[in-house]
Amino acid sequence: MASPRRLIGVFVVIVVLAVGGAAVVATTATDSGQADGAQISGQSPQQFQPDAVNHQADPETGEIDVDASDGAKRILVDTSHGNQISRSDVEPVVEAAFESGHSVEFGTSGDRRSSYAETISNYDAVLIVQPTSAFSRSERNAIQNYTDAGGRVVVLGEPTQIQAALGLFGAPSAVSFGATNLTQSYGFRVGAEMLYNMNAEGTDNNFKSIYASPSTDDELTQGVETVNFDQSGYVVVNEEHDDADDIEVLYTSVDGTRTLETRREGEYATAVRSENVVFVADSTFIQESDVYDADNEVFVGNLMDFLVSGDLDDSFPTDTGPATEPPEPPDAPTPTPTPPEPATPTPTPVGESS
Amino acid sequence: MLNGTNLTASTVAMYIVVIAAALVTAAVVAPAVSSVVQETSGDEPTVAVLTLRGGTTDGNVNQLTEDLREARTNDSIEAVVLRIDSSGGPVDSSEELYLAVNKTAAEMPVVAYVEGSAASGGYFGIVPSDAIVVKPSSNVGSIGVVVAAPLELIELVGDQQETFVRSGPDKAQISKDSIRSDLESLKNAFVGTVMTHRGDELDLSRQEVARGDIYLGTEAVQNGFADRIGDEDTAIEMAAERSSAIEGDQYDVTYFEQPGFRFPLPFASEDVEKVEGNIVYVERSDSDRVEFVEPVQYYAVWGVPASQENASVEVVANG
Repeated sequence: MASPRRLIGVFVVIVVLAVGGAAVVATTATDSGQADGAQISGQSPQQFQPDAVNHQADPETGEIDVDASDGAKRILVDTSHGNQISRSDVEPVVEAAFESGHSVEFGTSGDRRSSYAETISNYDAVLIVQPTSAFSRSERNAIQNYTDAGGRVVVLGEPTQIQAALGLFGAPSAVSFGATNLTQSYGFRVGAEMLYNMNAEGTDNNFKSIYASPSTDDELTQGVETVNFDQSGYVVVNEEHDDADDIEVLYTSVDGTRTLETRREGEYATAVRSENVVFVADSTFIQESDVYDADNEVFVGNLMDFLVSGDLDDSFPTDTGPATEPPEPPDAPTPTPTPPEPATPTPTPVGESS
Repeated sequence: MLNGTNLTASTVAMYIVVIAAALVTAAVVAPAVSSVVQETSGDEPTVAVLTLRGGTTDGNVNQLTEDLREARTNDSIEAVVLRIDSSGGPVDSSEELYLAVNKTAAEMPVVAYVEGSAASGGYFGIVPSDAIVVKPSSNVGSIGVVVAAPLELIELVGDQQETFVRSGPDKAQISKDSIRSDLESLKNAFVGTVMTHRGDELDLSRQEVARGDIYLGTEAVQNGFADRIGDEDTAIEMAAERSSAIEGDQYDVTYFEQPGFRFPLPFASEDVEKVEGNIVYVERSDSDRVEFVEPVQYYAVWGVPASQENASVEVVANG
């Protein structure tokens, strides 16, 4: 009788031999006999080389120069129409104006004691940045009379955009330029879509950060080769407007620019001027993050010169004279000959209220 | 003597039983052992089918690059079919996948079969293939890069400056401009890779590729993002045809299956930081130290972040 121990021994030996043999055969079949190093060969693809990959953004250089020759002027930055601008965004511009002796104030039309006309009458120029609420008829009339009387107004606006949801339960919402009714009265409005450009030479550092170049020789295009608009739309001009002949396209988008939704390629007007009003279909180029891109600082300097070189004459009512009539109600349908109040000769605005 | 003869006969019978049992055991165990040591067996040249189902994440890509290395070093594997259903992932691991496939394609035919999607980082991975086979419902393209960065980090640069005492003005700074420049550079690498490998086939210009459109399989065959409508076997046949070591249909097919988690883990799954092949990195937090995460992550993906809000997106038509 074979001992169990011997039988187990035989079992184990056979299993080990068979399995081990299979492993050895498999190993031999796999092992090519080469050293590991023989299979090592690196790769450095051409399209991954720095020259092919690295992106060069525009250097942010230059200075904002504002003309001081016409003496100290006061500029009002409108804050009463849901304007998407903060003081810190435009600090470089305020600083440049200050250096040339001008002052920039953030104001509101709408306190109870004064009409919009009274408010703006205290300033030499008005800057309206991306308003999201509409201008009332009296406000529109006030601005129309203001520019007719030589006051200067610059409006910066963007086309409708979807804003990301904020907060846990926030839903995405559309943000629209609110002053279309104001600009339309001058014969232009912001277009329906944003612009983009896929050519590397047509943008700064993103397909939506487009370049535009001067399309005319004007004080507002002097010294500028290229401007960079980060959220640019385009301006549509009403060619049948009474003042259509006065409308001048200042800047147009460079080659390869298209509309974001419908992909229509074209040379789009991005900034226009009609006498004492300038409208730019972008509100980012004046902000700290973008003001030194491309020649933006020169364009912003030109815009500031435009604002401070206005000459508001006496045909626009001011609040320094004696009061003979009560102030016009805010929504009066007729243009403003807004009579001033005698007891309140002090300029109203200042203070960012909402 | 008689007794002894009987004893010998029974002993022999027991040995026979034991030997038979041993051989049966060996017959069961040996093939498994053999296949562990050598994934393929037999004399025929082999087409290996490698699979990536899921994102081009660190773990998935690491597994696939190991499989590709195995395919390159195994003498019997003469061609590779890359079966893919991936809508991409982080740019860094997508580039890793590209490099591994590119290296393999330099040594043997590689044909990609797009089972579901080969979008963004997924397409980055298969673009060096010799041919790309799609179905009508395959999603191909979406060439481009997105960035995931907390908005407040970008917008509150001033606050960031106060978070640390820093050694230089750019230390611990994130700006919109720097992120955009990085995005442009990563896009250049990605689009450049697509143009390098598919430029001759593509009907689209570099700018059109960079728009980042996604295409159905049928559109992709027309515009050059893919080569042929077909199935997995089409891809295997094309891979075999392209190999000079394979004659006619004299080849074997072996599948490298994508492994999942195969072993029970001695730690909670939420502690797992990342998985690379069989290596699992576990986060051990130390409450005495500030923990840092990468503030900005670049993805080559086609998709939207998976979240509660996105789970119930509705399209409402006005009117």
